[in-house]
Amino acid sequence: MRPPRRPDLAALGGEALHTTYLIARREFMTRVRSRFFVIGTAVFMILLAGYIVLQALVIGRAVTTVKVGFTGDAQVLAQPLVNAMGQDKMFKLVTSTVPDVTSGRGQVQAGTLDALVSGSATAPDVIVKDDVDPTVAATLDGLVKEVALSRALAASGADAAAIENQVAAATIHLNLLDPNAAQRTQRQVVGIFVAALLYVALVIYGQFVAAGVVEEKANRIIEILLSTVRPRQLLLGKVIGIGLMGLLQMVLLGTVGLIAVTRTQVISVPSVGFDAVASGLLWFVLGFVFYALIYAAGGSLVSRQEDLAAVTTPITFLIVGTYLAFFWVVANPDNPVSVLLSVLPPFAPILMPARVATGDAQSWQVVVAVVLTLGGIAAMNTLAARIYTNSVLRVGSRVKFVQAWRGVD
Amino acid sequence: MLAVGGTGLEVRQITKRYGALVAVRDLSLQVHPGEVFGFVGSNGAGKTTTMRIVLGTLASDGGEVLWDGAPIAFDVRRRIGYMPEERGLYPKMRVGEQLVYLAQLHGATATAASAAVERWLTRFDLKARIGDEVQKLSHGNQQRVQLAAALVFDPMMLVLDEPFAGLDPEAVDAMSEVLHECATAGIPVLFSSHQLDLVERICDRVGIIQRGHLVAAGTIDELRGHGPVQLWVDAPQAPHSWTSGLRGVQTIRRDGTRVLVQLDGGADDQAVLRAAIATGPVREFRRRVPSLLEVFREAMSENATAAAS
Repeated sequence: MRPPRRPDLAALGGEALHTTYLIARREFMTRVRSRFFVIGTAVFMILLAGYIVLQALVIGRAVTTVKVGFTGDAQVLAQPLVNAMGQDKMFKLVTSTVPDVTSGRGQVQAGTLDALVSGSATAPDVIVKDDVDPTVAATLDGLVKEVALSRALAASGADAAAIENQVAAATIHLNLLDPNAAQRTQRQVVGIFVAALLYVALVIYGQFVAAGVVEEKANRIIEILLSTVRPRQLLLGKVIGIGLMGLLQMVLLGTVGLIAVTRTQVISVPSVGFDAVASGLLWFVLGFVFYALIYAAGGSLVSRQEDLAAVTTPITFLIVGTYLAFFWVVANPDNPVSVLLSVLPPFAPILMPARVATGDAQSWQVVVAVVLTLGGIAAMNTLAARIYTNSVLRVGSRVKFVQAWRGVD
Repeated sequence: MLAVGGTGLEVRQITKRYGALVAVRDLSLQVHPGEVFGFVGSNGAGKTTTMRIVLGTLASDGGEVLWDGAPIAFDVRRRIGYMPEERGLYPKMRVGEQLVYLAQLHGATATAASAAVERWLTRFDLKARIGDEVQKLSHGNQQRVQLAAALVFDPMMLVLDEPFAGLDPEAVDAMSEVLHECATAGIPVLFSSHQLDLVERICDRVGIIQRGHLVAAGTIDELRGHGPVQLWVDAPQAPHSWTSGLRGVQTIRRDGTRVLVQLDGGADDQAVLRAAIATGPVREFRRRVPSLLEVFREAMSENATAAAS
């Protein structure tokens, strides 16, 4: 009664691939079903959305609604005001007609109107409670002058319409010397946000990998696993499984963030947000694989969770240091050191996506950074697999790096 | 059900050094299909190291491991059911899921793995716990799951490091039954143990390892019959020194009127019998076969003397 084997995959690398898939699937499934993932992700999503909405409502005051009532002769100003203010997306103008000044004054007092415009169209009375939005006031003032002008022109017998067209055609010609400057601050904020998110993600998921390696050493299942699986497959499966879990979490958070950002218009240029998220995800994948391999090698040196901090702290320092370095890089975007740091593998996964978000990275730099990081991953794969293979079966005190490298005592 | 028709496992002159320490030295042994081979030796003698070299989790510094006469391939190795001395399972993973996963890692298909897991859990009376986390099981039940982990992929061979350690007598019986079933099905079974009485009861052949070297190997009878011939003789009316005149015969021990004598090679036991009868009635005349423990101790001391000289 021998159960059938897998003859189809027995040949070539199919079997090895299948094994790696099995390992990755287990790592992914056990973690995605864990309380940390389900509750943690939900809480993060709510916090992120809440933060952005709060930013929009309290700090950003994204859209200001101004309610203006008109009565009497001044009613002719209502439509021009709507037309003039309609250009500005930061304002939502609501106009209404009020039967008389007394009832309008009452509405302003009650707060249902922000301003009441009454009297003549050329010298209207504007009643407000304590203050009026300066933009509304200025626009209204301009309109009144326009009305006065056209009435004066009409009275003088000139062709008012022709003159108004001439005036309308007269405009300034804007020459932008630094078109990004206006967006620069906003982009810098997005860049810092991207860098912060990536550094946190790399540290958290990297430590997941290290802890996963130690877990298998600590509960000794590693010996059974390695009797049937090659160390490299185990390492790779673990990195892929945990990486996909992290990616899923990042995509969920990124989607919520993007939706919240575009809905609340915290960022007025949605393309900045989209670019930042897209390159952030790409660099999360590259950076995660690079650092996960280092974390795994570090984890394989110790046998107990308590000893883990000693080997992961230096790695975490490198990532946090890179994040902190971004504040200098963002202030000196064209400095050769900034460019160099942002293409080198240990720093690129944080600095490059952040520079993409700030708009400082040129496309050739992105390409160089990707190529160098892929090379770094290949090198780290060899290095980490060697250390992992040599130390993962050694239980007891911490394995020294040199021993792990040379594979002898 | 007999699937393995070859010569089984052969370990040929393997050596493993850890720096200056030689953990295993020139060790050779064979485990044939259908045979339970017991590996005995004190702690640190090199049992676990040898097993790890067989499994390929440790590289040897010399010698080779053969399967059916050819160097053992990864495909064969991954189908060895292994139970490490330090038990290991994922504590937070469910029993059934975990066993299916391990079976698949050893090359079984998902359906075959599920069927085998059901079969073995039923056999071990753990079917009801299939959905429980391993850490929720009692120590004894965790041991059963551990053994099941070595069986669920239909192994080509079993390598069990101290499988009886920490088991209650009932579990010991269940375990030995499983080992015999596997052996009967044609699977070579290699296991290590400190418990010599158990080894004596269960094994077809035994290897005694000391300081990384195999000092004796053979069937239990071979090992026990290996030493000089010893005889218990009870001749109640014989004078105290009745054996002193016999050539090549030494008195080892006295127990009341009984005497234990040891014959040098070539000495005739019939001459001893005749001498005994000459003194009067003979109530007992019996060849004494040493227990495995004695063989073990003797092998140890011989080897120690040899090492010292």
